[in-house]
Amino acid sequence: MTARAFDAGSVADARAAIPSPWRRAWTANGPGYMFLLPWFIGFFGLTVGPILISLYLSFTNFDLLTAPQWTGFDNYARMFTADPKFIASMRVTFLFVVFSVPLKLAFALCVALVLNRGMKGLPIYRAVFYLPSLLGASVAIAVLWRRLFAGDGLVNEALAMIGIQGPAWISNPRFSLWTLVILAVWQFGSPMIIFLAGLRQIPQDLYEAADIDGASRWRKFWKITLPLLTPVVFFNAIIQTIEGFKSFTPAFIISGGTGNPINSTLFYTLYLYQEAFGFLRMGYASALAWVLLAIIAAFTAFSFLTSRYWVHYED
Amino acid sequence: MPVTTTAASVADDPRRPWRKRIISVVAHVVLIAASILMLYPLLWMLAASFRPEREIFSSTSLIPSAVTLNGYISGWHGLPLSFGTFFINSFTISVLCIIGNLAACSMTAFAFARLNFRGKRFWFALMLGTLMLPYQVTLIPQYVLFLKLGWVNTFLPLVVPKYLASDAFFTFLMVQFFRGIPKELDEAAQMDGCSPWRIYYKVLLPLSVPVLTTAAIFTFIFTWDDFFGPLIYLNDIKTYTVALALRNFVDSTGISNWSGLFAMSVLSLVPVFVFFLFFQRLLIEGIATTGMKR
Amino acid sequence: MSTNFDRRQFLLGSTALVAAGAVAPAFAQDPGRLRLYWWGGQARADRTNKVSDLFKSKVDPKVTIDGEYNGSFQDYWTKLDTQVAGNNTPDVLQMDYRYIYQYATKGTILALDDYIGKGLDLSDFDKDQIDGGRVGGKLYAISLGANSVAMMVNTAAFKEAGVDLPTPDWSYDDYKTASVAWNKANPRNGMRILQDGSGNEPAYENWLRQRGKALYTADGKLAWTADDLVEWFKLWDDLRANNVCVSPDNQALDANAAIETTMITLGKAATTFANSNQLIAFQKINKDPLTMVNFPRAKKGAGGGHYRKPSQFWSIASTTPAKDESVKYVSFFINDGDAGAALGVERGIPCAKHIRDAIAPTLSDQDRLALNFVSNLGDLLGPLPPVPPAAAGEIDNELQTKSQEVAFGQSTAEDAGPAFFKAATDMLARSS
Repeated sequence: MTARAFDAGSVADARAAIPSPWRRAWTANGPGYMFLLPWFIGFFGLTVGPILISLYLSFTNFDLLTAPQWTGFDNYARMFTADPKFIASMRVTFLFVVFSVPLKLAFALCVALVLNRGMKGLPIYRAVFYLPSLLGASVAIAVLWRRLFAGDGLVNEALAMIGIQGPAWISNPRFSLWTLVILAVWQFGSPMIIFLAGLRQIPQDLYEAADIDGASRWRKFWKITLPLLTPVVFFNAIIQTIEGFKSFTPAFIISGGTGNPINSTLFYTLYLYQEAFGFLRMGYASALAWVLLAIIAAFTAFSFLTSRYWVHYED
Repeated sequence: MPVTTTAASVADDPRRPWRKRIISVVAHVVLIAASILMLYPLLWMLAASFRPEREIFSSTSLIPSAVTLNGYISGWHGLPLSFGTFFINSFTISVLCIIGNLAACSMTAFAFARLNFRGKRFWFALMLGTLMLPYQVTLIPQYVLFLKLGWVNTFLPLVVPKYLASDAFFTFLMVQFFRGIPKELDEAAQMDGCSPWRIYYKVLLPLSVPVLTTAAIFTFIFTWDDFFGPLIYLNDIKTYTVALALRNFVDSTGISNWSGLFAMSVLSLVPVFVFFLFFQRLLIEGIATTGMKR
Repeated sequence: MSTNFDRRQFLLGSTALVAAGAVAPAFAQDPGRLRLYWWGGQARADRTNKVSDLFKSKVDPKVTIDGEYNGSFQDYWTKLDTQVAGNNTPDVLQMDYRYIYQYATKGTILALDDYIGKGLDLSDFDKDQIDGGRVGGKLYAISLGANSVAMMVNTAAFKEAGVDLPTPDWSYDDYKTASVAWNKANPRNGMRILQDGSGNEPAYENWLRQRGKALYTADGKLAWTADDLVEWFKLWDDLRANNVCVSPDNQALDANAAIETTMITLGKAATTFANSNQLIAFQKINKDPLTMVNFPRAKKGAGGGHYRKPSQFWSIASTTPAKDESVKYVSFFINDGDAGAALGVERGIPCAKHIRDAIAPTLSDQDRLALNFVSNLGDLLGPLPPVPPAAAGEIDNELQTKSQEVAFGQSTAEDAGPAFFKAATDMLARSS
């Protein structure tokens, strides 16, 4: 060990003896940049570069076999004026996000509140509710879901036991999307964990002070819990919304890759996949991707801007 | 100060402990019912995988009348290649990704958490920004790039990005963790003449076993379940992962072998479930820290 | 501390090894290996794999043949395109009349004219079947059998309903009349006599041809008008309203045109639109005895709807490194006696005369039924239509979606007809 230290020391001495600005800058910044090298390669090669290239491709027709042909705004024009599938997939994805995210957060918050009362068996309940989140995105679960909600599946059998004649969920365009919403909400465990952590961060003395003032449980929730939880709600809402927009596997498996019946399960990513890899219309698919990026960026910006009105950060 | 009797104070009133008991019991009942409802689909699939084919859709009970391994046997050989190949493929990809993530993300996190350099805050903000970037927008050019490199139909497109710290989520997790390690340790090592590499390697990493384990497990789960990546990059059945194989199974044997399908589905979920059983505390804490204020 | 380092070294080393294994695309371009890809059910898979084994034992023991198949006709093309995109086109791929034009003009499949007589033996092959695989005069695909459209019929269900089996001159009206008695008898708890064929492109084509129209013109335009489609949708509206065909929920279960999810297999209808060579595959997974009949006539006495077409082809990828081997395989497939015996008529009536003669004595009753069906179409037979244009496959899929809109009441026949006509015209323009 001492031999090493001696080496490093002598090198350091030598360096200190020649303090050129370049060398100093290098010694100062060098290690940082060296450690970041893998990330830099990935960032420019796999993120920034592709983003710019896909922007370019969105203005072309590109089928992978021949060079891209410039078509200007044709792709975007077609998307908004002559593509009923685009409209359908937008509508479907929006409906999915608008319904599944609030429901998911509501369940997550409610269960977190119940669990936070310090019940016996908390770890077990927490684990049970979290497990679906881990498994939910897999092909196996999507396959299971497809069977459960089939016309003669478990769900309808259960409904029949209480006298309700269930529809053929999966093959009926009115209901097929809801099976996917239910699947998403089933995975509320992940935001629930975050809510639990957030709840635990709220200082107990606030509640004790409220108790002294004689506040009811409801008041305590509205005036203490919820306001202090808003950062977590905000965080969860953004993450879950973005995840919702990226959803692919369940829609793919449940509809057999078609997005049917009548495009009622045509999630945006599924449509993009069909255009890119089903029909090799890579230019159009790139345009689709950019529209999605624009929407998510607008949503995120909007959320951050309006967050100051309802998110209370504890200072 | 007026003394108001509210439900809360009544419940906490030592003279009426039974009220709190009742609320607690009700809460437990509701939670247990909810738990059963949440887990029922999984339990049903597990039961169905052991049932004889014809019985699968005729009963809702969880206990099969006759236990048979037929589903597992027929499912294992249900595709032209046995599921053993697919499990090996999935496993290989996951392990390679874990190594890549641990190495690259910890290096990146070390730079952001411990080193100072010009533009650090700028790059850090950019890195966090990539967390919110939808992958669809880089998808096609990445595909074209890998196509030109000749990497399509190998594992490389799925694995190599991990070695370039493409998963900002884990970098972020590790940055948070590193920030919790006292800087005095770094400074002590520096005074001993350690280079940044040695500090990283000999000081920080050994202390980071918890976050590294968390990252490893999450990487495993994410890559094991990954469907989209293999869907577009793996064309040859020899390279298929379990997720792809399951989907093929559904397509080719269709509705004629449900017990086989469910059996293979159960098997595909087992590794994730096992990790969950043994490491749930780590996983849950890992998730929880991401929700903390930055 | 030293153990940490060693472990890390080991990890890095083993990573390198495994990564090296992952790097080498050992599978894709290997001349000693043939990759086949086709669509079809288990019956077809068994037979094809048998032929591959015969090829290995009789012609080339050194080759490895990997046979992959997809149960869904629709999904087959998506996956194929993904493989083509990834430069991994299977060496020998099954081809369909609707898609030949697209793949030939894109250069994905090989022109085989140079191989005729030099590795590809077409000496006693039916000429019209050879021509069916030509695009622009060049031969791109080899027919694997002749078939025509046909309806599968569940004879047991008909017996239970006490209704006579359909005869070759039944029109849609006749089915409607029969459904009155059928629904009164209510066999199998709600089984209907017909599936919902409003989204079935072959059914639509058959109906159009009987009225003197067609799907596509020789130069790749639509050969029908919006009014035709409106009438077609209205026909099915009427059949649906009178419970002649299954409900839209049930029809939507048949999402991927796989045999297992057709209405007859699921027990929702007593008949299903299919192809004559599929009788074998259908019978394999249906417990009830099946028979075949032609597609319904548009009205009494109308004919000319059917045609003898190549049921499917083998094409060879233009990027395959194993051109000669692939040609050898295809030639073996269509000419070898044992192969012919293994395949039977599952892919259609064999096109090589010597194969037909050889297997004639070995045919089962149902096989003979399929064979005779195609030979004895009589006035139902019309000329072979020209090769469909490049967007034909996409239009086929979209018709299904559009028909669902009408069936579920989201759109009326009057609106859907012109809307789909416009969409189809768009698709044709886009793909040219």
